[in-house]
Amino acid sequence: MKEKLKRLFDYRELLFNLTHKEVKVKYKNSFLGFIWSLVTPLMMLVVFYVAFGIIFKLRAMGMQYYAFYLMSGILPWNFMSTSLLLSTGSVVSNADLVKKVYFPREVLPLSHLGSSSFHFILQELMLIIFLVAFRVPLTPWILLFPLIMVFELTFIAGLSMFLSALNVFYRDVQHFIEIVLMAWFWMTPVIYPISLMRDSLPSWAVHLYMLNPMAHIILLWQRIMYNSPHNGPDAALLSVPGLLGTIALSVCLVIFGYITFGRLEGKFAEFI
Amino acid sequence: MVVREIGTRRTSEIPAIELQGISKSFRLYHDANYSLKEKVINWRKRGYDLFWALKGVDLTVFEGETLGIIGPNGSGKSTLLRMMTKILSPNEGTIRTHGTIAALLELGAGFHPDLTGRENIYLNASILGFKRRQLEGIIDEIIEFSELGPFIENQVKNYSSGMYVRLGFSIAINLNPDILLVDEVLAVGDESFQGKCLDRIAHMQRDGKTIVLVTHEADIAASVCHRVLWLEKGKEKMLGDPIGITELYHKAMRMRPEGSEFGTRDIVIEKVEILNQAGEETTDFKTGEPLVLRLNYNAVQPVKDPVFGFGFYNQMGFMVYGTNTRLRDIDIPQVYGKGKMDFKIVSLPMLDGRYYISVAAHNRDGMLNYHWLDKLYYFEMHSPGREEGVLTLQCDIDLAP
Repeated sequence: MKEKLKRLFDYRELLFNLTHKEVKVKYKNSFLGFIWSLVTPLMMLVVFYVAFGIIFKLRAMGMQYYAFYLMSGILPWNFMSTSLLLSTGSVVSNADLVKKVYFPREVLPLSHLGSSSFHFILQELMLIIFLVAFRVPLTPWILLFPLIMVFELTFIAGLSMFLSALNVFYRDVQHFIEIVLMAWFWMTPVIYPISLMRDSLPSWAVHLYMLNPMAHIILLWQRIMYNSPHNGPDAALLSVPGLLGTIALSVCLVIFGYITFGRLEGKFAEFI
Repeated sequence: MVVREIGTRRTSEIPAIELQGISKSFRLYHDANYSLKEKVINWRKRGYDLFWALKGVDLTVFEGETLGIIGPNGSGKSTLLRMMTKILSPNEGTIRTHGTIAALLELGAGFHPDLTGRENIYLNASILGFKRRQLEGIIDEIIEFSELGPFIENQVKNYSSGMYVRLGFSIAINLNPDILLVDEVLAVGDESFQGKCLDRIAHMQRDGKTIVLVTHEADIAASVCHRVLWLEKGKEKMLGDPIGITELYHKAMRMRPEGSEFGTRDIVIEKVEILNQAGEETTDFKTGEPLVLRLNYNAVQPVKDPVFGFGFYNQMGFMVYGTNTRLRDIDIPQVYGKGKMDFKIVSLPMLDGRYYISVAAHNRDGMLNYHWLDKLYYFEMHSPGREEGVLTLQCDIDLAP
């Protein structure tokens, strides 16, 4: 384990280069280049604003700036789902490399995390600019950004290492994860406010609901980016034990994912 | 351990790569059992044959030595090389390497088509485990060696295959690793570049680098290497003097058809006899002569419902004729212990040429091979020369006045 970590550290430059490659290749041959990373959230904001603010008139129901609420949750959600989808297939899609060159294979899923992080940070910066432009007060909690980012990254890293290793042996994983992400999305307070769950579900169901680690992570993001009034005065369902539990789970996941990956990687070249 | 004298230079006694009792098996799946569903349905059935690519290989490559690995297809050369790079891990045995390794298993593995040549140099070098700062000093050298000139700033997808190969080779060789592993890549590229590469290898030899070269062409091995390892069916056949071994190798390759064997070995086909009319073993037959193919098998344990069969293949690899006991509706309820089976061909219709024979024992639906000897035997056909083509046909000629 220690040796493996040292090896990974030796190859940190490869991780950086692969991340760099993913970022670069994504917008290669496109005229606007990485500006697309900024245009996408802008368009998202416009669409949400038109759909929910003007057409559905949610504003009348006390949902002012619903678009910001939505953005503050959907960006970290997309960050998780795209990194997971990309990294799950990462070992298999680099079959050529895995069969022909030796390097610590975990850089393959991790490089996708890197490139997704890059886009995510750009998008969040855009969101902050929008907030300022619309004169929405920023909360001081926003300073926790890097911390929460590391938290979410830990969670994703564990899952993606585990899934990308498993996907080499059972290609079903890749398809399965797409469905799971869809269901998971609706079980996480991204497009509806958490108060909806809190007020309509019996308390045991709310507890069950809050076992979802992504619910905690998304709530955190919403809290620090845009403390919307419809999140409720008691800062939704965020609690210290709940958060500590989720952090512990993420750390366990990352260890479990890394160990599983290490166990299976010796057979990648044969099975791929 | 003997210190060998090569030319004016001695190779050291310090090991660079140590292999001890290396064995490696692969599972040959009858059908890729990749999805979960199939795995569940077939959970009891063993859907694969074990194929031993390497069996108990011991080898020490010394620092500063150039070792050539030769052998026919499927002898385990590439598998051995991949284990030295740690891409594959052995089932048994230990591998130790000392020093940085660069492997040329396939040139330009890991090149990204959308990046430029220069960007790919950085990417490729880091895949090979080298740091950017190690690269700074030699990047110009790499570009110069690759002869790409201004094209280095172009996307790799626009490169010709020659340019691709030159860049790949140029990166690996200029990184100046302690150990360079090369797999069959010298065969590509034009002759002048090949010469340049061989020059470079000689240069590395002078610098005391360790090189392992896998090659089909034994002559390259003979001219470049200090020692040669001849692998045959995953085992060391010979190790030592390059000139002597390549000579023997050439001789053996002319004698031997390309073939392989695999199977679970529940039934072992121990001996195959090719008999002529008089019941003598031979490999020469005249068109129209009879042939008896005798399989001597040994079923280690009782095997129910086996099928025995054979096939003749021409030199192009096409099956000329084949049959088995199932196709002929011969039921064999069970075999156990030793036995014989004769396939009697009354008259061979083939004209001239060499024909390879595959024989096999497998289960009824053909899913499980007990023993399959693929093109391991051959015989030569000789015709009196009154006909042309592949087969003789009953052909009478009427001449109308």
